[in-house]
Amino acid sequence: MNELIRLENITKSFDENVVLNGIDLTVGENEFVTLLGPSGCGKTTTLRIIGGFEQPDSGIVYFDGQDITTLPANQRNINTVFQNYALFPHMNVGENIAFGLRVSGKSDAYIKDKIKYALKLVNLKGYENRRIDQLSGGQQQRIAMARAIVNEPKVLLLDEPLGALDLKLRQEMQYELVRLKKELGITFIYVTHDQEEALTMSDKVVVMNEGYIQQEGTPEEIYDEPINAFVADFIGDSNILSGKMVDERVVEINGIQFPCIDGTEQGFPPKKRVDVVIRPEDIEIRPYGKGLFNGTIISKLFIGVHYEMLVQSEDGKIEWLLQNYDQHDVGAKIGMYVRPENIQIMHKPKSEAESAMEIDL
Amino acid sequence: MKRLGKIYILIIMLFLYLPILTLMVLSFNEAKSMAVFTRFSLHWYAELFQSKLMLGAIVNTFSIAILAALIATIVGTMAVLGIDAMKPRTENVLLAANNIPMLNADIVTGIALMLFFLMIGVPRGYCTILFSHATFCIPYVILSVRPRLNKNTDKLYEAALDLGASEKYAFRKIVLPELWPGISSGFLLSFTMSVDDFIITYFTRGAGINTISTLIYSEVKIGIRPSLFALSTIIFVVALVTLIIVNYKQNKADKMAA
Amino acid sequence: MISRKRYATPFIVWIIAGTLIPLLSIAYYGFTARDGGFTFANITAMFQHDHMQALGLSLLLAFISTLVCLILAFPMAMILKDSKYGKQGFMIFVFILPMWMNFLLRTMAWQVLLERQGVINTLITMVGLPRQELMNTPGAIVLGMVYDFLPFMILPIYNTVSKIDNHLIEAAYDLGASRKKVYTSVILPLSVPGIVSGITMVFIPALTTFVISNMLGGGKINLIGNIIEQEFTVNSNWYLGSGLSLVMMLFIIVSMLFLRKFDKTGGESLI
Repeated sequence: MNELIRLENITKSFDENVVLNGIDLTVGENEFVTLLGPSGCGKTTTLRIIGGFEQPDSGIVYFDGQDITTLPANQRNINTVFQNYALFPHMNVGENIAFGLRVSGKSDAYIKDKIKYALKLVNLKGYENRRIDQLSGGQQQRIAMARAIVNEPKVLLLDEPLGALDLKLRQEMQYELVRLKKELGITFIYVTHDQEEALTMSDKVVVMNEGYIQQEGTPEEIYDEPINAFVADFIGDSNILSGKMVDERVVEINGIQFPCIDGTEQGFPPKKRVDVVIRPEDIEIRPYGKGLFNGTIISKLFIGVHYEMLVQSEDGKIEWLLQNYDQHDVGAKIGMYVRPENIQIMHKPKSEAESAMEIDL
Repeated sequence: MKRLGKIYILIIMLFLYLPILTLMVLSFNEAKSMAVFTRFSLHWYAELFQSKLMLGAIVNTFSIAILAALIATIVGTMAVLGIDAMKPRTENVLLAANNIPMLNADIVTGIALMLFFLMIGVPRGYCTILFSHATFCIPYVILSVRPRLNKNTDKLYEAALDLGASEKYAFRKIVLPELWPGISSGFLLSFTMSVDDFIITYFTRGAGINTISTLIYSEVKIGIRPSLFALSTIIFVVALVTLIIVNYKQNKADKMAA
Repeated sequence: MISRKRYATPFIVWIIAGTLIPLLSIAYYGFTARDGGFTFANITAMFQHDHMQALGLSLLLAFISTLVCLILAFPMAMILKDSKYGKQGFMIFVFILPMWMNFLLRTMAWQVLLERQGVINTLITMVGLPRQELMNTPGAIVLGMVYDFLPFMILPIYNTVSKIDNHLIEAAYDLGASRKKVYTSVILPLSVPGIVSGITMVFIPALTTFVISNMLGGGKINLIGNIIEQEFTVNSNWYLGSGLSLVMMLFIIVSMLFLRKFDKTGGESLI
């Protein structure tokens, strides 16, 4: 994949507040990259720096090999779909879409064709003359897309574009976005705090917190192999526990020994203190005494396809979160088992700054 | 309860409008009486329009109002854009200073301006009135434009830049239309405040220059002539028609939005 | 990003020249004697009998007028909120219209009504009663103040009252509140910002007026505004006039600080 955008050691602060702490990021041509993190993590600032709305305090932004750090927004071949859309309220749909084309002095016939094409692309044929306040949220979202893409940008920046929509529409739009991306064949950089959005649409997910990039990888890598407790906690429900390596490829949690697949080679030698992530769907239920450890079910919720249960360990010190298709009664004593490959061993945070990132958001 | 409410509205309306209606009726009275209607006549209207003093005052009133509103609108709108770029502390200090003429009593503002003109040795006349009117109008322009310049305006401006517009183009095509309702209502507010003002004009005018208000005041002091009733009728009708037009336009705009 | 600090320069110059320096010049004259030396005499002159009497009467009449306006305006605002007229803007229109009419002419209208040979006296004598001396009384001045300033009380109160969510009122009833309780603990507290700006817009002009007292008091009743005005226009004693103005400003500031304690929104409903 050809590199299209590269951020090199970007820092940015507002007044005394450090928002970006040395961001390095590469985005390839035709890639769907999602910046994911809680509010205040710096994802939107990163996007605004790429869009040209903010200047970094230090660091360089490359676009197609050129340094564009100080290039103003209106000279970048990048367009943005804004949070809450920023559609011009005093113009109708057609005028909104035409705005960028008029600025660049395209002919009326060309503009007319482009509006038609763009509206067709976002499934809103014939909406040229509608006023903005006559559109629903989902339609406004599509017009915002259309307005951006008619300019044929090489990169489309999307700042929480689905944030204002309800759940069902949001899921529909996710498919829609992926389809559009395929049809247009351009790069998408997407900002969201919704981990589901990030996992379903992206080629690459970049998890951010407190101005640092925590982890970068495919959705599968991020989900299956979170690099630290913050990422594990932010991506999906997990059991995150403190543990200690007791042997090669054996970790002890709360006095129980679990075989795992990480050892000295992976940087986890015996006696090392570690964090362990076990996804709730990876804990298998066995008859009492037949698993690696036992517990008592203390609560149960049916959430659609499966049941979610809280299981208290026998010494009462730990509550495990389990997801299972089978129903078990509250109060039942069960045995539990986890396959070695489903135990994700992580380094403990080193500094205070990093442990601060663990704070549950 | 509904009935009681209607009666109450009626009483208050009578209280507000009966005195004005009395003036209107008396303006068509042939006699000079303030109580007895003798015969229908238009000669008080004729007297009003033959008065050079009154015609001069009308010209002064409206030219000052238009100029003051124009100056206030430009200075005030620019101020909103400027204040927005400042640190919150400076912003607050300036906005507090901006509030002074609005909260202060007119008599104090008038006296203060009068002393200022005397101190710097500017002879009082048309220009001092204009300056004073612009002074008390600017705060109202700022108050009505400022709410229009918000995060949303910033976003729209950024969106225009994002789509390739130059800063000037984005300002003209996007920001100005966004601010426009505030700017136009600031202008209208300034205009009416200026036309209506008496107290500040009274202290900042020189001898020999009159606006409608100051002329009324000096005439009332000598003795009320029914030509003032004619003036009341005209002002009332003009205000009524203007308000109906404004109201009609607003209703139309509201319906279009709905 | 749209904004540039330098756009505010004309405004800052204007504020300094049109507001701050003029106010400072009042302060300068207020503390200066005729011979140019520093003095407190212009300030302490307020304690002279005539001045105290005028100030006392001003405070009293302004207080009464404000109270009457408030009592008349609040039910009006509530009726407008509940009726369909408010929404159509027709009623609002009815209260804005008098504001567009020159207030000197409006005050003059009452002069015409109250005069010895005026409309009311003519009607009274027609039914055989003796003529009443209606003009040149404190009552006439209060009437003029209420008439001139009532719309300025109604509109701000209506503005806040109309924004009270009806669900809040329904919720209060739902929770078992009596009608009285709904008014005292839901509607009234929520309309405080409007009431406060209404009071400001009536009390301050009423306290400082010299026009209404001049026209309806026939020059016989002196309010503090009349005293100050005469110092400037008749006696040409700017020093004394400024000193008295400073004392009057003190009263304005104190009453605004007092009102602000009730209104935590900082006068947003002014417009």
